[in-house]
Amino acid sequence: MHILVLLKMVPDVVEELEIAPGGKALDLEYLRMILSESDDHALEEALVLKERHDARITVLALDAPEVDDALFTALAKGADRAIKIVGMDAGLSTRQAARVFSQTIAHEPGILPVDLILTGVQAIDDLDGLIAPLVADDMGLPYLGIITRLDLDAPKHLALAVKEYPGAVRGEFEVNLPAVLGMQAAEKPPRYVPVAKVRATMKSRTVDCLPVPTLADGGWPAVQVVEMRRNEPAGHAEMLEGAPTQVSERLCGILAEHGLL
Amino acid sequence: MPNEAIYLWILTLTAFGLFGRRVSRYVRVLLAARPEKRWDRVGRRLRLVLVNVLGQRRLIEEPVVGVAHLVIFWSFVFFAASFFWNLVRGLLPFLPIPYADEVPWMSAALAVSGVAGLLALSVAAVRRYFFPPPRLEKSKDASIILGLIAVVLLSSLAGQWFRTSAPAVSRAMWWVHMVTVLGFLAYLPYSKHLHLLASPFGVFFASLQPGKLPEASSGAARREEFTWRQLFSGLACAECGRCDRSCPAFQSGSALSPKMLMHHMKELARGTAAGHTGAVFVGDVITREEIWACTSCLACMERCPVMNEHVPVLIEMRRHLIGEGDMDESLQQALKNLTRYGNSFGAAPRARPKWTQQLDFSIKDARKEPVHYLWFVGDYCSYDPRVAAATCAAARVFHKAGVDFGILYEGEHNSGNDVRLAGEEGLFESLRDKNRNSFARAHFNEIVTTDPHSFQALKHEYPPENGASSVLHHTQLLRQWIVNGDLPLRRKLHMKVTYHDPCYLGRYNAIFEAPRHVMAALGLTLVEMRRNRTYAYCCGAGGGRIWMEDPPVFKERPAVTRVREAAALEGVRTLVVVCPKDLVMFQDAIKTTGLEGRLEVKELSELVEQAMG
Repeated sequence: MHILVLLKMVPDVVEELEIAPGGKALDLEYLRMILSESDDHALEEALVLKERHDARITVLALDAPEVDDALFTALAKGADRAIKIVGMDAGLSTRQAARVFSQTIAHEPGILPVDLILTGVQAIDDLDGLIAPLVADDMGLPYLGIITRLDLDAPKHLALAVKEYPGAVRGEFEVNLPAVLGMQAAEKPPRYVPVAKVRATMKSRTVDCLPVPTLADGGWPAVQVVEMRRNEPAGHAEMLEGAPTQVSERLCGILAEHGLL
Repeated sequence: MPNEAIYLWILTLTAFGLFGRRVSRYVRVLLAARPEKRWDRVGRRLRLVLVNVLGQRRLIEEPVVGVAHLVIFWSFVFFAASFFWNLVRGLLPFLPIPYADEVPWMSAALAVSGVAGLLALSVAAVRRYFFPPPRLEKSKDASIILGLIAVVLLSSLAGQWFRTSAPAVSRAMWWVHMVTVLGFLAYLPYSKHLHLLASPFGVFFASLQPGKLPEASSGAARREEFTWRQLFSGLACAECGRCDRSCPAFQSGSALSPKMLMHHMKELARGTAAGHTGAVFVGDVITREEIWACTSCLACMERCPVMNEHVPVLIEMRRHLIGEGDMDESLQQALKNLTRYGNSFGAAPRARPKWTQQLDFSIKDARKEPVHYLWFVGDYCSYDPRVAAATCAAARVFHKAGVDFGILYEGEHNSGNDVRLAGEEGLFESLRDKNRNSFARAHFNEIVTTDPHSFQALKHEYPPENGASSVLHHTQLLRQWIVNGDLPLRRKLHMKVTYHDPCYLGRYNAIFEAPRHVMAALGLTLVEMRRNRTYAYCCGAGGGRIWMEDPPVFKERPAVTRVREAAALEGVRTLVVVCPKDLVMFQDAIKTTGLEGRLEVKELSELVEQAMG
């Protein structure tokens, strides 16, 4: 069983984001990149599956600042091979990113055959969650997303996936492998790997670099960024301060003002 | 009487044979364990033996049984000397020397120490059977030992008593005495009273810096992965329960009992720990809950009469669990945050100096201009909004005192103290190296910190490469300024307060008087809690506990117990603290106990600022 996990670095929103001059993109100078949270869950799910079934994990990522940390961490956690795709322009569109993944998987020797492709269902710069279905479409594979539980039936070559629906309904699916699955959450939070182990991995293992495949010119993109700007706060919360009696009086007053008392 | 000598030879060889067999097994186990250097500063170690073995200082902290133990110990020493004297005389009858009790002064000394020993034994027995303190192990083993000591003393006294009136009885008593002692010798290494033999060595090989953590390792889960001194702790333990009685984790009802920890270490050293049944030592015998419950407050080690080292043993096990990725989810999140952002809050490094925006002056950036004091602010003082008022007060006090100080701004990272105690050695090293790099880029003479946890790390775990001549806690500086008249105190604060000694300032660094001196100079009347100085009861936050969830079954959180203790003091409405974690923990505990309005927590700097007017 060969599991491929697609990883993507996204802007770390813990740091304050700045808009670049020109107002159409984030200012990369002040940006730190972090592994997309749901990709981290996809990796965790792959590791859980590896523990349960005899699987081999390859992680594949697009080059970005700090991606090496993420890849070595993945190796330290138990991934068998880490590959970084290098040489692309910054600011790929989601469609281009998906193409880079699918072309690399299809054409680079040594990646196929793959039984299962896991990735995060969404990323903060791909809120529509398009990467996974686009990769599946490119490769002619089935796709299922927003998965919260996953297991494999290796002899039947099936993935057993669970999706949660509103109204406390859950759906269980059988997906023929190979398939692309978009993970929302692994069955347990992504594991912690000690710093010493990551450091040792950096010394003893390597990350393979593959050149970005040449993509057919997609022409003028149909969707363009017009402007990017910070949200302006629409209003402010009012903090009620003072002794409990004063606070409760004021609270009663506000509720009365709004006709709630 | 050559026949008697032959019997004595047979008995002696058997007893020493059994004794030697067992002891040599322990020695082999210790030799196979990880090495740990404990041969340095022999003079200081001998002093420890003098005070803690011959003087039994820590036992006397519980006076009644302590004095009884001291008397039993000394009468035992006397009787052991007499025994070996008699043994040599009995084994080698041709020697031209009398038996010990035939020498008048020795006989008198034996009689006196025998009677005193018996009295002390009865005190010990009454305590053990009628008024046992909590956590005293009431095993059959202890009764056997008490009985054996009593027979040893009684037979010797009776032998002397009948020496002239009934020599045959006296001789019989001599034999009873010798056989009992030889039996005792053979039994000793198999019993809990192995401590009698092991504890003097335990004290001699004690850590000269009890707060110092074991050398970097990937942790320990199996016998040979512990250091020999850690295994030895088990052998030296007398299971007296003083550790449990002082342990905040145990007292608050969590899974950890430091006494049982030592008991299991003894089983591990003996080879009787569950290993045979297929159970894993770390995980099954000593559970995860126990290992993570420790607050690293050091109270157990401070009270242990045989100077056992509970905390390092737990840290080794934590290192092992961290290596396995086996930890509380919230701890995992804190460690991830620390790895990425250098703080446990998961906040941006650039937000670290944000608190300074509340000041009406700016603080120098020690990376850009030279300062005398580099203030290592610490995570809680920098990021936690509940501590901001105290941090700002400290800044204003330094500013008003005209002190030349600066901070590292976003160049500061978590000091790594709690990280190291949580067992994440690699992350600790990474944080330490980042801070050392920042220190190397800054220009300063001394480091001052408002956080006892950072103080511990910077003072003891960073050197020799932290680039500072000294590391001070702010209370030490405040005292120094007060003594030199450099702190303009305008008014006296006429208040009754109580004070909580932080573990990492008190037990770890023996700084008890500096904050008390400052409080006195402010005009505060200090009412001590019963548990103060080395007895102070931990707030429950240390050793990474502040990042972990409370156990599901908890009698009372340590911080709650502590604020109740403070609130029970008559006329006291203020609990003074000098540690940001204490501030957070106690403020929270006051809210959950409904003591708001009855007790408030103040950082000492806030009171100093008030007094400066």
